[in-house]
Amino acid sequence: MAEEFPVEIGVVYEGERIRKQNMQVELGGTKVDYKAELVQCRPMDEIEDGKVIVKGKDLKDMEEGGRYPLVILVEVAGEQVERDLEAVIERRIHDFSNYIEGFMHVNQRYDIWCRVSKSSFRKGFNSFTFLGQALGKLFKAELPIIEKIQITILTEEEDVKPFVENARGIYEARDARARELSDDDVDEFYGCVLCQSFAPTHVCAITPDRISLCGAINWFDGRAAARVDPKGPNFKIEKGEFIDKEKFEYTGINKVVQEKSLGENQRFWLHTMFGFPHTSCGCFEAIAFYIPEVEGIGICHRNYRGETVIGVPFSTLATQTGGGKQLDGFLGIAIEYMRSPKFFITDGGWNRIVWIPKFIKEQVKDAIPEELYDKIATEEITTDVDELKQFLDEQDHPVKERWEAAVLEAEELEVVPVGEAFAGTRLILKNARIHADKVIIRRR
Amino acid sequence: MHAFAVSGKGGTGKTVLSALIVRELVKRGVVLAIDADPDSNLPEALGVDTERTIGDIREELLQKKYKLPPEYTKDVWLEGKTYEILSENDGFDLLVMGRPEGPECYCMVNNLLRRIMDMLTANYDYTVIDSEAGLEHISRRTTIGVQDMIVVADGSQRSFDTAVRIKKLTEELKARFDHLYVVLNSNKDRPADTARAEETGLSFLGSIPYDPEIEKACYQGVPLPEHSRAGQAVHQLLEEIL
Repeated sequence: MAEEFPVEIGVVYEGERIRKQNMQVELGGTKVDYKAELVQCRPMDEIEDGKVIVKGKDLKDMEEGGRYPLVILVEVAGEQVERDLEAVIERRIHDFSNYIEGFMHVNQRYDIWCRVSKSSFRKGFNSFTFLGQALGKLFKAELPIIEKIQITILTEEEDVKPFVENARGIYEARDARARELSDDDVDEFYGCVLCQSFAPTHVCAITPDRISLCGAINWFDGRAAARVDPKGPNFKIEKGEFIDKEKFEYTGINKVVQEKSLGENQRFWLHTMFGFPHTSCGCFEAIAFYIPEVEGIGICHRNYRGETVIGVPFSTLATQTGGGKQLDGFLGIAIEYMRSPKFFITDGGWNRIVWIPKFIKEQVKDAIPEELYDKIATEEITTDVDELKQFLDEQDHPVKERWEAAVLEAEELEVVPVGEAFAGTRLILKNARIHADKVIIRRR
Repeated sequence: MHAFAVSGKGGTGKTVLSALIVRELVKRGVVLAIDADPDSNLPEALGVDTERTIGDIREELLQKKYKLPPEYTKDVWLEGKTYEILSENDGFDLLVMGRPEGPECYCMVNNLLRRIMDMLTANYDYTVIDSEAGLEHISRRTTIGVQDMIVVADGSQRSFDTAVRIKKLTEELKARFDHLYVVLNSNKDRPADTARAEETGLSFLGSIPYDPEIEKACYQGVPLPEHSRAGQAVHQLLEEIL
């Protein structure tokens, strides 16, 4: 397809950086106020397939070494082209424009930064029409759902500025929709095994409602990474069958857990810390821990100094929790997960949270149901379980409902002691009936 | 792309040698200089101003990871920022790695950076890495993909000991380089030093003479002179290996 084009087009040019010394012009970038790229879906009869409109100075009229505003508007139509795909299609502008020899494209949306090289300019890449044509061909070749494509390039500030201002509203509306995205809205989740170097059986299941434990990889990041390198540490998980709607168990996730944990773990229940919880690597931002005395859940973050309400600091909890083990009642999480509508939903969600450091409480304030905010204890209220119980009682915390029902019915109970002294030990109590007013464990 | 890394004990002159190598290589092609020492001095030695470091943008990303728009993915953000902080100069670009990691999780950001760095370095004829003192760059494998590792020694026994340790760790971790060289820096013409450098088991590449002009520039904290005795010696060394 390159024969009618002045420069070559191909994957080999991806990652090509145009240095300032070899730069014909710069478009957008931090030194230019207005620039943007946007994909919009249109009805079939509103656009003309293959049409490229260039409004404003064309490349050949631009000063060598100059900087200019830029808009790349890609309008697409097709029976299967939906508004939800706009962001995905838009992201490909980066890939495809970088396939062009001597064209550099960095960033996205209102931050785009492009350069055209002197050498490609000399070869005849002197019009944006060529950029538009190349993009049009690449989009149609790579994304067959696009039946019609029309591309507009704007380079005058008087056109670019209002365009960018309007586009901001479109991006914001798109972000608002993306934030609403839930596990039920997608067909695939993403996995992450970046932490397997120190937790060899750990795999993160990343879904719209469940960000990675480190808080660094959301579903969109997973999707981007898996597309760039499908065999890399971030990969696609086919959702499979949704087999348990209370425990949030998916066959697709189970399959990946079995494979990636090397058979160590068989299944994950996505939004609970009991039964078959997600494993924890070592990178988690916070740890959720079950407090049996009050039937509630406490949470402590990495930077919290001092003892938690169960008498141990974060570091001790982390030693216990990390390493890719599946542990009843201990789970590494990202702070952002506390904003998820499915946050420990199987266990009662926020109604189950009884103790968190003040720092987190402030940080996720908007996610805590208003009526619960004052009922959740922090280190300023207490770091003692007995006092915590009294506080919850006085505050009428919803977890109290569980106290009456708290008759131990387990046939098999696994007790995993906290603390370095017990690391690696596992006590299994069968048919146990335990009553103790107090258990005292002393350091040797 | 041919990559050099300069390492060795603290104070032996890694930054000076790195800067002199960059100055030489610019005559042969386009160079990417990477200052991987958290206490970054390479920009000054090369006479270049830099504002932000990879460490800065890495922290910024971790700080704002929840604030980026959901579809503004972190790979794109980080790639853009890396390109933005790259200092562009005649014949060479300079990237400063900056501050070391904090207590948070860096798995994601470092994974993204690896890919960005691989893509970036492919654009240059030469890459020169001014490593931090000590051995961590080898144990963390941040110098993987480097063909020539040059360990600087200043004639002190400790600087030779460091060279030996670097060689040992390289073998243990199978972090193989095509060549592992030792260079004598600021050599005060003690013939015995050459023999001691050879005893380290690394290939002895040569000596850089003591140069009062370089010492003066270091003392004053100004860029290294364009032409110097030491620079001439580096020219000779590179002639041998390129």
